[in-house]
Amino acid sequence: MLNIRNRRSLALASVISSLALVLSACSSSSDSGSASGDDAWFATAADKLECKGKTIKGVTENTPPGQYVKSDIIPAFEKATGMKVDLETTSWDEMYSKAINDMEAKTGIYDFVYIEQDIIYQYLKNNYLANISKTIADNADLKAPSFDFTKFTSFIDNFKDANGDVFGVPMEAFVKVYLYRTDLFNDPAIKDSFKAKYKRDLVPATNYKEYKEIADFFTEYGKGKDLWGTTVQAVTGHPASFYELFESILPTNGVYNWGINNGKATSANGGSMDSKAAKDAFAFWVGLLKDAPPESKQSTWTEVGTTFAAGRAAQGWVYGENVAWIATDEAKSKVVGKVGVALPPLGNPKVLDDSKSGKGYLGYYDGGAFGVPATSKNINCSILFQEYQGQESVQAKWAAAGSRIVMESTYDDPIVQEMDTKTNGYYTFMKEEGPLFRGAPPYPFHTAVREVVAPFIYDAIAGKISTSDALDKAAKAADAEMKKLGY
Amino acid sequence: MKKSNPNRLGWILISPSLLILGIAGLFPFFYVIYVGTHSWNVFSKERGKVFVGIQNYRDLVFDNVFLGTLSRTLIFSFLVVTIELILGFILALSLMRDFKGKTFFRTIYVLPVVVAPIAVGATWRLMMAQGHGPIPYFLNKFFGWEFNTGASTTQAWIAIVLMDVWHWTPFVTLTLLAGLLAIPKEPIEAASVDGANRVQMYRYLILPMLLPVILITVFIRVMDSLRSMEDVYMLTNGGPGSSTTFVGLHIFRTVFAKQEYGYGSSMSLMVLYFTIVICWLLFNALTGKNSKSKI
Repeated sequence: MLNIRNRRSLALASVISSLALVLSACSSSSDSGSASGDDAWFATAADKLECKGKTIKGVTENTPPGQYVKSDIIPAFEKATGMKVDLETTSWDEMYSKAINDMEAKTGIYDFVYIEQDIIYQYLKNNYLANISKTIADNADLKAPSFDFTKFTSFIDNFKDANGDVFGVPMEAFVKVYLYRTDLFNDPAIKDSFKAKYKRDLVPATNYKEYKEIADFFTEYGKGKDLWGTTVQAVTGHPASFYELFESILPTNGVYNWGINNGKATSANGGSMDSKAAKDAFAFWVGLLKDAPPESKQSTWTEVGTTFAAGRAAQGWVYGENVAWIATDEAKSKVVGKVGVALPPLGNPKVLDDSKSGKGYLGYYDGGAFGVPATSKNINCSILFQEYQGQESVQAKWAAAGSRIVMESTYDDPIVQEMDTKTNGYYTFMKEEGPLFRGAPPYPFHTAVREVVAPFIYDAIAGKISTSDALDKAAKAADAEMKKLGY
Repeated sequence: MKKSNPNRLGWILISPSLLILGIAGLFPFFYVIYVGTHSWNVFSKERGKVFVGIQNYRDLVFDNVFLGTLSRTLIFSFLVVTIELILGFILALSLMRDFKGKTFFRTIYVLPVVVAPIAVGATWRLMMAQGHGPIPYFLNKFFGWEFNTGASTTQAWIAIVLMDVWHWTPFVTLTLLAGLLAIPKEPIEAASVDGANRVQMYRYLILPMLLPVILITVFIRVMDSLRSMEDVYMLTNGGPGSSTTFVGLHIFRTVFAKQEYGYGSSMSLMVLYFTIVICWLLFNALTGKNSKSKI
C-alpha cells in the first residue's frame, strides 16, 4: 500500500500533469486559429444557415496540402463557426474509390471530396457534383465577402463546366519539376570530374542524352555512398508509373494527351500512343532504371519524394507538392538547402516551342479542388467550408507548407517569397514556367483507359515485355476499351 | 391442455439469426448475382446498369488477364497449403511432447494468426523495403545477395509465400494439434503391442484418424488462400509487373479502380464456383470416395 507521503506526491504529480495537459491544449487551440480569415462573417453565416453544431465529412489525399487542411484550416474553421469537419486523409487510390462509390451509390456519406484535375470530366459527365457557383449566387446568405472566384489562377477553369459554372474550389496546384541536387552539381571536384569525362559543364540537363549522362555519372560516383543518378517513379501495380510516363515523359518527346487523338490511341487509327516518339521516350525512361535506387520499382510519387529527401538521388522528376518540405524541413529531409529546380529535359527540342505556343506542353501541371457531391445532405454547410478554405487570407501559409499555389496574389506574400528563396526559386519557377506545363487531357474515360493500359507498362518495367511491345499492346487495348465504353 | 410445438419455438428462437444472416449474407450474394448479369461501368458513355445476361461470363472465359490471375492464384494456393500442412503437422507433433518453455513457445508461435492480413502485409513490406528494410540489408551485408521484391518475380513470390506460411502455419498447427490430442490412445497402444513400427502407426492409424481434421484444415486454407488479397496488396501490390496479381487483387482493381461493377461481380461468382469445385475435388482425392460418402 502507498503511504501518505507517496500518495501526496502522486496527487501532486497528477495535478501538475493535468495542468500541463490543459496548458498544451490551450496553446494548440490558439495555434489552430492561425488560418483564420473573415471569421466573424463565417460565424454569422453558420448560424443563419443552421450549420452550427453540424458535422460535415470529407475525404482527401494524404499529401502535404491535405495535411495542412486538417491541421490548420479545419481547426480554425471549426473555431469560427462552431461546425465540425471530419476529414479523412487517405491514400490516393483509396480516396477515389471511397468518393466514387459514395457518389455513384448516392449514399451521401461525404459532404466534400477531393477532385483531381484529371478526374473532374468524369464527375461532371456523371452529374456527381453540386454547382457551387450557382448555389452561392442563389443564396445571399452563402456569399462570403472574403471569397471571390476571380482571385484564383486560371487553374480554376479546370473545374468549370461548359457554361462556366464552378464545381470545385481549388485547394492545390503545382508542377512536376526537374529537381536536382545543387550541392552535387556545384561541387568543384565533381564538376571537374564530369567535365573531364563528358567534355561539357555539369549543369541541369536540357535533353535526354544529357540527362542520361548525368544519371550514369552520379550512379558511378555514388557507389558505396547510397547515391544514384536519378529517381524513377516506376512502381508496378500502382498507376503512379503510368502517370509519370504519360504525363511527364511522353510529352517531353512530343506525345501529348496520352497519345490519344479523337478517341483513338493506335497510330493506325490516328493516335500516337504506339508511335516511334512514344516508344523512344518510354525506352529512355525505362533505361533510367539502371541509374535509379533499388526502391524505384516500388516508388509512387510519395516514395520518389522521400528518396530524393533521403539524398539517394542526384536528380529526378518530383511532384511540386513535395518541394517545400524536401528543401526546408530538416526533420524529414537530408537535402535541406541543396535543391534546385529546372525545366525537364526534352527528347525533342520542338516541344519547347509547342509549349510556348500552347500546341503542346513539357510536363504535368497537377492539382485539385474540393467539390461538393450532389448527394450531400449538407450542401450549404459544405460550401461554407469551401469558401473558407478558398479565402485569400489563408493561402500563404498553406503555400509554404504544401508548395501549392491557387491564387496569383499568393506569389507576392512575404511568407511565400521567403520560401521561394529557401527552395531556390520553386515558386518563381511555377509562376513563370507554369504555363509551359498542363494538366491531364479532359477525358471522361480517364480511369478506364488508364486501367487497361497500365498493366502493359508494369510488364515493361518488370522486363517481361519490351517497351515497344508494351505500347503496341497498350494502344490496341485503349482503342478497344474506348470503343467498349461508347466513345 | 395443449402442448406448445417445440419446432415452432425453435424457429422463433433462431429467427433473429436467420434475419441477420439473410440481410448480411444472402441479400449481398443475390445482389452480386444480379449485378453480374449487367454491364455497369461508372465511366461508360451510357450511365447505369444494362442487362447483358451471361455475356460477362462468356467474356471471362476468353479474358487472358483474368485466367492468368486465376492460374497464379491456384499455384500460390497449392504451394502455401502444401507447405503449411507439412510444417503444421511437424510442429503439431513437436507440441505433443513436453519440453522446457513449451507454453511460452506456443503462445508466441500462434500470435501471427490473430494479426489482420493488412497489418501482416504492411509489416512484411517494411521489413523488405529497399533502402530501409532489414531483410534486404542483412542479406546484402552477410551474403552479398540483392533481394528486391519490386524487381525480381522469383523474389516477390518467395516473399509472399513466406509471408503466408508465417501467417497461417500456426493455425494449421493448432487444428492438427487438437486433432492429434483427440485421437484415442488405445488403438495406438494395441498397435504398439502388436509390433507396428512408427511408420506403420502413422500410415494405418494416426493419419486415417486425423483425416477429418486434415480435410477441414485444408478446406479452410484453400478457401482463404484463393481469396488472398490484402497482404499481397500491401507487400507487392501485385508486382513486379503482374507476376503476383492474384484473382482477389484483380477483382478489387476491376471493381474499385476501374469501377466495372458488373464484370467484377461476375468474376467474384466465377471464383466462388472454382472454389467449390476445387474443394469437391480435394474432398474426393483425400477421402478416395465419391461426393456422397460421409467421413
